[in-house]
Amino acid sequence: MVKKVLGLTVADQASLLRIAILGLISLVAIGSRLYSVIRFESVIHEFDPWFNYRTTRYLVNNGFDKFWNWFDETAWYPLGRVVGGTLYPGIMVTSATIYNALHLLNIPVDIRNVCVFLAPAFSALTAIATYHLGKEVKNATAGLLAAAFMGVAPGYISRSVAGSYDNEGIAIFLLVFTFFLWLRSVRLGSALYGALTALSYFYMVSAWGGYVFIINLVPLHVFALLAMGRFSNRLYVAYSTFYVIGTLASMQIPFVGFQPTFTSEHMAALGVFGLIQLVAFASFARTLVPENHFRVLLRGAVVSLFVVGLSGLVLLTMSGVIAPWTGRFYSLWDTGYAKIHIPIIASVSEHQPTAWPNFFFDLNMLIWLLPAGIYFSFRELSDNHVFLILYSIFAAYFASVMVRLILTLTPIVCVLAGVAMSHVFETYLNFRDVPPSSPVKASAVSSAAPAADKAQRAADTVSDDVAVEDTDSASGHKKRGKGAKKSAAKAAEAATDTSADGAATPSTPAPNELSPGLKRFYTIFPKFVVMSCFMFLLCMFQWHCSWITSTAYSSPSVVLSSRGPDGSTFIIDDFREAYYWLRKNTKPDAKVLSWWDYGYQLAGMADRTTLVDNNTWNNTHIATVGKIMASDEDTAYELARRHDVDYVLVVFGAMLGYSGDDINKFLWMVRIAQGVYPDDIKEEAFYNQQGRYAISDDASPAMRNSLMHKLSYYRFAEVMGGRGTDKVRGQKLPTSVTLDNFEEAYTTENWMVRIYKVKDLDNLGRSHHAASKF
Amino acid sequence: MRVLATLCLVIPWVCLASSATKGLVNTNVIRTVDLQGLPFVREQVGVVIQNDHDSKVFKTYTISIDQDKAPNLSQLQVFERKSGHSLDLTKETPSTYRAVLRRGLLPGEKLSLNIDFVFVSLVQPRPQAVKQSDDQSWLWADNSLVPSVYPTRKQKTVVRTKGDVRAFTDGGARDGKQSVVFGPFTGEQDGGRVEVGFKDNSEQMEALTHRREYFVSHWADDLNVLEHYALRSLGPESAFDKVDQMVSKYMHRRDNLVKTLLVKVPAEAREMYFVDEIGNVSTSAVSKQRRAKGEDAFRVMQLRPRYPISGGWNYTWWHGYSLPLSRYLKVSPQSRHHLRLPFIGSMAACASLEGELTLAMANAQNTAVRQYELRVTLPEGARDIAVELPVAGRARLEPTKYYFDSIGGRTAVVITHENVAPELYARHILVSYSYSPWALWMKPMMVGSAFFVLFVLASIASRMEYGLAPGGRSLGAKSKAAKKD
Repeated sequence: MVKKVLGLTVADQASLLRIAILGLISLVAIGSRLYSVIRFESVIHEFDPWFNYRTTRYLVNNGFDKFWNWFDETAWYPLGRVVGGTLYPGIMVTSATIYNALHLLNIPVDIRNVCVFLAPAFSALTAIATYHLGKEVKNATAGLLAAAFMGVAPGYISRSVAGSYDNEGIAIFLLVFTFFLWLRSVRLGSALYGALTALSYFYMVSAWGGYVFIINLVPLHVFALLAMGRFSNRLYVAYSTFYVIGTLASMQIPFVGFQPTFTSEHMAALGVFGLIQLVAFASFARTLVPENHFRVLLRGAVVSLFVVGLSGLVLLTMSGVIAPWTGRFYSLWDTGYAKIHIPIIASVSEHQPTAWPNFFFDLNMLIWLLPAGIYFSFRELSDNHVFLILYSIFAAYFASVMVRLILTLTPIVCVLAGVAMSHVFETYLNFRDVPPSSPVKASAVSSAAPAADKAQRAADTVSDDVAVEDTDSASGHKKRGKGAKKSAAKAAEAATDTSADGAATPSTPAPNELSPGLKRFYTIFPKFVVMSCFMFLLCMFQWHCSWITSTAYSSPSVVLSSRGPDGSTFIIDDFREAYYWLRKNTKPDAKVLSWWDYGYQLAGMADRTTLVDNNTWNNTHIATVGKIMASDEDTAYELARRHDVDYVLVVFGAMLGYSGDDINKFLWMVRIAQGVYPDDIKEEAFYNQQGRYAISDDASPAMRNSLMHKLSYYRFAEVMGGRGTDKVRGQKLPTSVTLDNFEEAYTTENWMVRIYKVKDLDNLGRSHHAASKF
Repeated sequence: MRVLATLCLVIPWVCLASSATKGLVNTNVIRTVDLQGLPFVREQVGVVIQNDHDSKVFKTYTISIDQDKAPNLSQLQVFERKSGHSLDLTKETPSTYRAVLRRGLLPGEKLSLNIDFVFVSLVQPRPQAVKQSDDQSWLWADNSLVPSVYPTRKQKTVVRTKGDVRAFTDGGARDGKQSVVFGPFTGEQDGGRVEVGFKDNSEQMEALTHRREYFVSHWADDLNVLEHYALRSLGPESAFDKVDQMVSKYMHRRDNLVKTLLVKVPAEAREMYFVDEIGNVSTSAVSKQRRAKGEDAFRVMQLRPRYPISGGWNYTWWHGYSLPLSRYLKVSPQSRHHLRLPFIGSMAACASLEGELTLAMANAQNTAVRQYELRVTLPEGARDIAVELPVAGRARLEPTKYYFDSIGGRTAVVITHENVAPELYARHILVSYSYSPWALWMKPMMVGSAFFVLFVLASIASRMEYGLAPGGRSLGAKSKAAKKD
C-alpha cells in the first residue's frame, strides 16, 4: 500500500498534489478574470470602482492621516462629502499596502494596475479559502471541488473581473475566510481561532457593508445550535471571543462607529451573546442544583427574560435609541417597498428582485447540486453542517429578492456543490470495493459504506486525492470532453487491473453467479456511465462559465465595443472622450451637472466638481438635479445658475442605439424629483395624450420643453435628416429643438455624451431668448 | 522737482547721442521676417556696422532683443557675411547678447553681419474666434525699428507670409501677395508699431511641456523611448459645432480641428503604445515602413487624440516604443560604452482626415516645444558618465531607483531646454559611460538570491515546531486529531 514515488511518502505526495491543484485553480481563477483586460485594456470599470480608485489614489499620494480626514469639496457641490467617515476603507488600504510594498522593492507599478488586478488576485485567495471551508465541513476532495467551482462561478466573477475594483472584490474572500475560521473555532472551541475570526471579521467590516450578513448569520448559527440543545463549552468560547473582539474592532471603523450598539441590524448578535451567557450559566447551575429545582428555575427565568428582553427592545426601538432598519433592509423583506417609498433605491437595476434564469445563468449546474449538498449535510448533522444549511437557506432567500446578492449565495453553493460532488466521486470512482455478489450483501455493504466513508474522511487518504486529481484535471477546462472520457476510461482500466491482480478483491464467486469478467463489467459499467455524465456536466459547467465571463461580465461599461458586419470590432470610447475633454479644457474648478450615475466617473476621469454622485446620500439634492433636467429651459437656467453650474452633461444613445442613456432614465429623474417637489414636477405630464412616453413631435409639452429633451436632441435632426429616427426608442426625431440659455460645448464622436455650457448672463440684461432673436 | 525729473529723462539721451556719434554705428539694417514656417518666426537681420570712433578698436558687438520677445527666443546665431564664420555669443542680460568679433574693428572699418533669430509662438490669431471651418487669420506685430544699442542710419523690414496678406499698417508697401515691406527708415525716423494680418491655414501647436525619456537595458538589448506631451493649439478659438464637424467629414471639407498627431519612429520600433491620463487611447494606427532620401527607414505613428483639438484646447498624452539597443550603442575595447541618441523626437499635428495623410504632413514642423526635458536612464552599474550636448547647457546626473534596483540604483542624465529650435531635431546627444560585464549579471543574481532566501526561510518555517507542548504536537496535527474524534 505505502509506495514511495520520487522519495515522497504518500502523505507528502497528497499534499504536493493538493498544493499543485490549488495553484492551478488559482491560475484559472485569475486567468478567467482577465478577459476584460485582453479585450479592452487595464481600465477601471463601471461607476463605484471609479470612486474607490480615486480615493485609493488620494490615499497613496497623501498618506493615511490625510485620507482619514479627507473632506472632499468637489463632490455634492456645494455640500461636500466627508470621505474618510463615509466609506469602507478596506479595499483602499489593501491596495495602498500592496502598492507601497511593491515600491519598497523598487517595482514601479502604477496604482491603477494594482487596483485593476486586485479583484482577480483576491479571487485566487477566495478559492483557497473555499478549499479550507470545504475541507472543514467534509474533506479535502470536497474542498478542492468547492475551490474549483468558486474559482470560476460566474456569480462571483460578475463582481471580480479585472478592473472591477469594488468592495465585493475582496469582501467575498473575507466572507468565506471568516466563515471558515468561525467553523474551525466552533469545532475546536479554540479562543485563538475565535480571535482570528474576529480579526477577519474586522477586516470584512472595513471592506464591505455586507458584513451585516456575517454578524447576523453567526449568531443565528449559535442560536440554532442552542435551540437544538447543542450547547457546548466550545461554542461558548468561540462565540464569546468572536463577538467581544469582533464588535469592539468593528467600532473602530468611523463609518460603522457605534452602530453595533444601537441599530437593529446588530441586535441579534447582542441578543445571542446575552443568551449564550445565560445558557452557559444555566448549564453551570445545573451541575450545582438538583434536577427538579432546576426545571422550575429555568421556566421562571426563560419567561421573565423573554418578556423583559422583548419589551426592552420594543421600548428602545420606539424611543429611537435603537435605530429601526434602514430602507435598503426593508426592501429585503418587502420587495415592493422601495418602489413606493424610495425610488432612488428602486431605480438601481442591481436592487431588483432576481429573475429565475439568473440563478442558472450565474451558477449553472451548481444550483441543482445545492439541494443535494443540503441533503448530505442533513444526513450527518454536525455543528458545521447546521451552519451550512442556515447559510444556504438565508443566502438563497436574499439572492432571490435582490440580484446583486447572488454574490453572497455563490460561496455556499460552491461549497455544498463540492460536498455533493465529492459524494458522487467517492461512490462512483471507488473501484477498489468488493463488487456486491447478492442483494443481501449489497445492502450490507451499503450500510457499511457510511462508516467506511467516515474513516476515509477522517484521515485524508490517498484514494481521495487521486480521485480529486483525476476529476479536477477534467474540470480544469484544458481537456475537452473526449480527453476527460479517455482519462476516466484509463482510470477504470487501471482499477480493473488492480482488481484483477487480486490484491484488494478477495471475492469468491458462488457457483450460480456470472463469470468474473461479466461481473466486473456490471460493476464498472454503471460507474463509468455515471462518471462520464458528470464529466460531461463539469466540462459544460466550465464552458458555460468561460462563455458567460467573456460575453456578459467582461465589459468595462466605460468603454463599449460593437461588432461590424464583417466581424471587426469597433471600440466606442465616447465616455472617456467627453471626460478627458472636460479634464483638459475646462477650468479646474468648473462645476458639472449630470445625473448621479456619472458622478463618480466625472470625479475620477474628468477631475471636476459634481453636484451629485453614486453615493446618493442626499435625496433632496438628487431631486434638485432631477428637477433641473425636467424643468423648462428658463427654470432650469435659473436653478443651474443658482447652483453655480458651468457645464451640463447628458448621455444620449439615439445615434448608436445605446439604450442606457439619459432619456431612458428620465422617468426615474422625474419620479425622484416629484418625490421632493410634487408641486413643480408631475410624472403624468411627461406622457403624451395616448399615455405613451414619446420623444418626437407628438410628445407632451412638458417633455418637449424639458431641459433633458432639449439637450439630447438639440440639432440632432440636422444630421440624421428630416426622416431620421431615434435608434433606441424607434421613434421619429423631434423636428424643432431650440436652445437659448445653454450652448454646445462638446459632443463626442458618436453623440453619446453631449456637454453644454451654461451661458453667462447677457451683457445688456436681456433674456437669452431675446438676445438670440435679436 | 519737475526740472530734476526732466533732467533725469534728458541727460541719458544726451549722453547716448553724443556717444553714438563716436562709436559703432549700424549704417544699414535689413530685417527679413519669415512667417512661412509658423509657429516658428525666423528673423534674419543683415547689418553693416562701422567704427566711427577716432581711435578705439571694437572687439565685440552687442545684440539686443525686445523685452517682450525675449522669452520666445528659441535660437540666435551670428555670422560674418563674407566668410560665413559664426561668432561666439555670451548672454549679458535676458535681452542682450554680446558677440565676439573675430578681430577687432579698427576705426573707420566696416563689417557685415548676419544675425539669425528664431522665435516661437509670436503670432496671434486675429480675430481670436472664428467658425470651426473658416480660414485662420493671424496677426504679426512688432516695432518698425530693429532694437539696437547702436545708432542706426538706415533700415527696413520685409515680412514674408505663407498665405495671402490681408491687411497691414499704413506706411508699409505690398510686395506681391505674400510680402510687405516697411521702410526704409533713416536716422531718427520711426514707423512706430507695425502689424501684418494674413491668412494661414496650417496647423500650429505648442507643446507646453515635452519630456522624452530613454531607458537603457543591456540585459534585454532594449532602448525604451517614452515621450510625454502637454499640447495646446495656437489656432483661433471657435465654438464647437458637432453638426458642422460631421458635415465637413462627409463632404471632405477642411476645418481647423486637429485630428491626428503624426510621429515618425524608426522602422525597428516595436511595442508601441499611446496612453493618456485616463487610459489607452484606442484609436491609433501605424504606417508601413517608409523610406525617404538621406534618412533611415521609418514608420509613422498616427495618433488620434480622444477629441479633435480646436483652437486654445489642450491635450496631454504619452506614447512610447522599444528599439534595439545595439543600433545606438558602440562599445570600445576598454568596455567604454558610447550611446548616440536623437536629441528630440518630432511630432506633427494634422487637421486632415485619415484618408488624406501624406508624408509631407508627417514632416511638417508645426509644433513648438516650450519646455523640453530629456532623460536618459542608464543601467545600474554605469560609471564615469560623460555627456556631449548639441546645445549650450549642462546635463544633470540624478540617481533613480527602478525595477528591483537595490544597491547603487541607476543614474539618469537629465537635460532641460527651452523653446526648441527646428534645427535641433536632426541633432544627437552622446552619452559615454563605463560598464563592466559583471554588472550585467548583478540583477539576475539578486533576484535569484532573493528567491533562494525565500525558499530557505520557507523550508525552515515548515520544519519548525509551533506547539507549546514539549512533545511537539503541532497545531495541524492537533486539528487533525480533533477531526478524528
